[in-house]
Amino acid sequence: MEKSFIELKNVKKIYEVGGQKYNALDGIDLSINQGEFVVILGPSGAGKSTLLNLLGGMDKATSGNIFIGDNDISKYNDKELTRYRANEVGFIFQFYNIMPTLTVDENVNLIKDVTNTSKNSSEVLKSVGLLKHAGKFPQELSGGEQQRVSIARAIMKNPKVLLCDEPTGALDSKTGVEVLKLLRKQSDYDTTVIIVTHNALIADIADRVINIKNGKVESNILNNHPKNIDEVKW
Amino acid sequence: MLKRKMFRDIRNNLSQFITIFLMVMIGIMAYSGIKAYMGGMAKTADKFYSENNLFDLNVMGLLNHDDLKSIKKMDNVNDAELKLSVSATTDNEKILLLNFIESNNISKFYVIDGEGFDFNKSGIWLDNFYCEKNNINVGDTVLVKYDGMELHEEVLGRINVPDHLYDVSDSSELYPDREKFGFAYMSTNEITEDYIKSLVMRESNIKDEKVFDMAMPDFDYKKYIPFSSIMVDVKDNNYRDNVKNNIEDNVKNAKAIINVEDMSSYAAYQGEIDEGKTYVGVFSGIFLFIAMLSVITTMTRVVKNQRTQIGTLKALGFSNNRILFHYIGYGFWISVFACVVGLLLGYYGIGNIFIGTEMVFFEIPNGAPFMDISSYYVSLIVVFIVGVITYITGRSILRENPAETLRNKIPSVKGRTLNITKKGFFKKLSFESIWNVRDILRNKMRTIMGVAGILGCCMLIVCALGMLDSMNFFVKLQFEDLYNFDYKLSIKENLSDKELQVLYDKYGSYSSESIGIEIKDSDGKRESNNIFVTDASDYVRFVDNKNRIKEKPNDNGVYVTYKLASNKGYKIGDKIEWHIYGDNKYYTSEIIGFNKDPQNQNVSMTREYLESLGIDYKPDSIYTNMDLSSVKEINNVVAIQNIDNLKEGMNGMLSMMKTMLVLIIGIAVLLGAIIIYNLGILSYSEKQYQFATLKVLGFEDKKIRKIFIKQNNWISVISIIFGLPLGFYLTDWLFKTAIEEHYDFGAFITLRTYIIASIGTFAVSYLVSKFLARKVKKIDMVSSLKGNE
Repeated sequence: MEKSFIELKNVKKIYEVGGQKYNALDGIDLSINQGEFVVILGPSGAGKSTLLNLLGGMDKATSGNIFIGDNDISKYNDKELTRYRANEVGFIFQFYNIMPTLTVDENVNLIKDVTNTSKNSSEVLKSVGLLKHAGKFPQELSGGEQQRVSIARAIMKNPKVLLCDEPTGALDSKTGVEVLKLLRKQSDYDTTVIIVTHNALIADIADRVINIKNGKVESNILNNHPKNIDEVKW
Repeated sequence: MLKRKMFRDIRNNLSQFITIFLMVMIGIMAYSGIKAYMGGMAKTADKFYSENNLFDLNVMGLLNHDDLKSIKKMDNVNDAELKLSVSATTDNEKILLLNFIESNNISKFYVIDGEGFDFNKSGIWLDNFYCEKNNINVGDTVLVKYDGMELHEEVLGRINVPDHLYDVSDSSELYPDREKFGFAYMSTNEITEDYIKSLVMRESNIKDEKVFDMAMPDFDYKKYIPFSSIMVDVKDNNYRDNVKNNIEDNVKNAKAIINVEDMSSYAAYQGEIDEGKTYVGVFSGIFLFIAMLSVITTMTRVVKNQRTQIGTLKALGFSNNRILFHYIGYGFWISVFACVVGLLLGYYGIGNIFIGTEMVFFEIPNGAPFMDISSYYVSLIVVFIVGVITYITGRSILRENPAETLRNKIPSVKGRTLNITKKGFFKKLSFESIWNVRDILRNKMRTIMGVAGILGCCMLIVCALGMLDSMNFFVKLQFEDLYNFDYKLSIKENLSDKELQVLYDKYGSYSSESIGIEIKDSDGKRESNNIFVTDASDYVRFVDNKNRIKEKPNDNGVYVTYKLASNKGYKIGDKIEWHIYGDNKYYTSEIIGFNKDPQNQNVSMTREYLESLGIDYKPDSIYTNMDLSSVKEINNVVAIQNIDNLKEGMNGMLSMMKTMLVLIIGIAVLLGAIIIYNLGILSYSEKQYQFATLKVLGFEDKKIRKIFIKQNNWISVISIIFGLPLGFYLTDWLFKTAIEEHYDFGAFITLRTYIIASIGTFAVSYLVSKFLARKVKKIDMVSSLKGNE
């Protein structure tokens, strides 16, 4: 059997709060193929964001293995994780987290400071429809436009994995659809896109839908016939 | 319940509240301490002067009982006393300013040990400091030699006297050498008839005692005691000038009448107080300013950290005023407590320590600090300011709606302000540089506070070290450039030409004379001064305003010091009108040049010019480069002063200064470090979410730390660039304003000081930034970014 691009084996994340142990992830086993558009669903506190953080090298698992390609990032030290984040993962957050004092263009070009494999920023900005706003500061843009800056920054490094935490959570439905289209397009270029969301409707457009509950994978379903984004009623 | 919250918050943020406490305490301690010290100086002197009845006027001349009687009868004169002052030596060649008195109701003794003055008692009352340094006790016998007489006197008392707070054997000394020079008092009863007879015989040119006895069969020697001064106690000081004029008109023997303020002891002490007043204003002002800056930054930090809690309280229905009072309480109680501790430490610590140091320098009993009322007012103002800061910070948060307040504040960005940074030179800057430029632009207030704090710290270091540099420069100028001799011999008055020639033959004829004069201005107002008459060739030199040694002075006029010229508006070519004390003949001299004298603001001329006016040259000092280290006594020489000893005397003064400077630098560094730390924390917490994002994007910790440290380094460099020249101007201003009128000092700061101040300030700032930057490693990306949401 061919090895999946992303593989999690018995991954546990245990937090200690006030002397009490709390299993955020309780033995996750998971496989995701390269270029898939994945949606992770689950109620609040289920462990979705924890899973995303582990995949993004922002946090370390208590036990288990996380393979991205051939590398087990759960064994990485801080320096290796930094290099991993710099070269292989793109992040998109609900509240964008773009640098308020850098212009759109500078925010995107920021990536050049951490990786050598970055794309041409003008092309990236053009692809997200922000070329004409390149010289503006984030404050001068709408929420949707700011999220597109965030996407542009994430895809600028040509990541193997694009991790999105509620990327449409702060946007109206129309803007949300535009953002989703952009994300979906990335998976067409062989980038694995993983979206964590409460919004079950997004599942209809995904290649794979993973349900998490109480820190465990409740279901991991391949969607053989994902809908076109325009077909979904938001 | 809110009180309980307050105490727990304080406990949970103990380090921040300890910072506020320390800052307020240090600020108040510095202010009230220096005030208590200066106030104590003034009060101690006032008490001593009034309780021991310091004279108001000192009449100088060759005076007698008739003069005394006539002064006592004058209007507005309370009392007057005769005094004969002579320069005496002891068996080990130490110098005593020996005073013979008949009574002691004016400038009364303060007896430390032994008994008070008694006209009929045979013995000597000695300077307490001199006794301490020479281990002399009451009951001991000391040998006193003057004018060929040798007296063995029992020490009757160790005393302080209000006109002997500061005594130097020679005006070229700055620091009193209590071991080698002191004052002493004896009853005129102790003056022998033989001595007075010999004086009168010398004066009358009678060589044979029998001839004298025949000529003056009823000779009452007491009537012929050559008193040198009369101390006058005036009833109402508002009319002191009337008494002065009265004496001038009616007492022919009065050669000079000097106000107590012009006496060296009084002036030196008063000068110290005046100097201190400027220090109080400047140093404690800067300390308070920096301390308040750090309190502002800390309090802002504390309240901003409570942002979500303020939102919660608001959401729960607490009124804005209630919330505001709750938070004002935080700073209020801490600052009240800190002020109380600061006042106590200022009074008992700084006040006592500094008064103690002064009391080693000035001979005055019962020196104690005095709590000035302004210290209480300043404390109240500080508490009020802390309250206002809390109020303003709290109010800005309360203005937002509760929902907004419950979220962490992300500083807003005004595109228009930052637009300039998108063009030209800025386009070439690296990411971290442009990011920092913009961060500074959007946090102007924080940056300005940072610059002000570090600048103040740098300025104080420059000033403290610069004062030491300037003093060292002064010592070099005075004792190496102006004084170009190894020994100065102070010779006796009225030596015959023959006696003088003996000294010239042996030690060289380079000499000088100081003459007391009065200068009359165009309005007829007279001011006392002195003329330095030089016949010392290159042994005593003149320098110009740039401290360059001048050519030999010309013989066709007078030179005045720059400061005197500036105060009086003299120009080269102007004429001054002057007369010698004791001689009413006025001379008019043209000013032909200026010279700089750091110690005296006076008039100088050559011997040739003096003689061209028809005035006899009577040298009082001879300068020589001979080795006199083994010579203890020279006939007709009152004092032999070695230039190295004069220089050494200064070291005592400098070491006292060093203690104060170490304190200033210590406080400056502490305050600077706290401000940098506070602003760093504020700056860091505002940027934390951005740093977390950079971390997520793959930026290495090292690089993020570099960004953070870079901004602080910039602020430090800017502060240092402004702090160095400001430090110079502060030092210069202090020297020019605070120092006594007769000094002419300016700041002379070495490159070394600037380098130390720059490196020191930068190092403090860098180390604090480096310490803060360690937090970057601990940034939890997940919670930082979640917190932002």
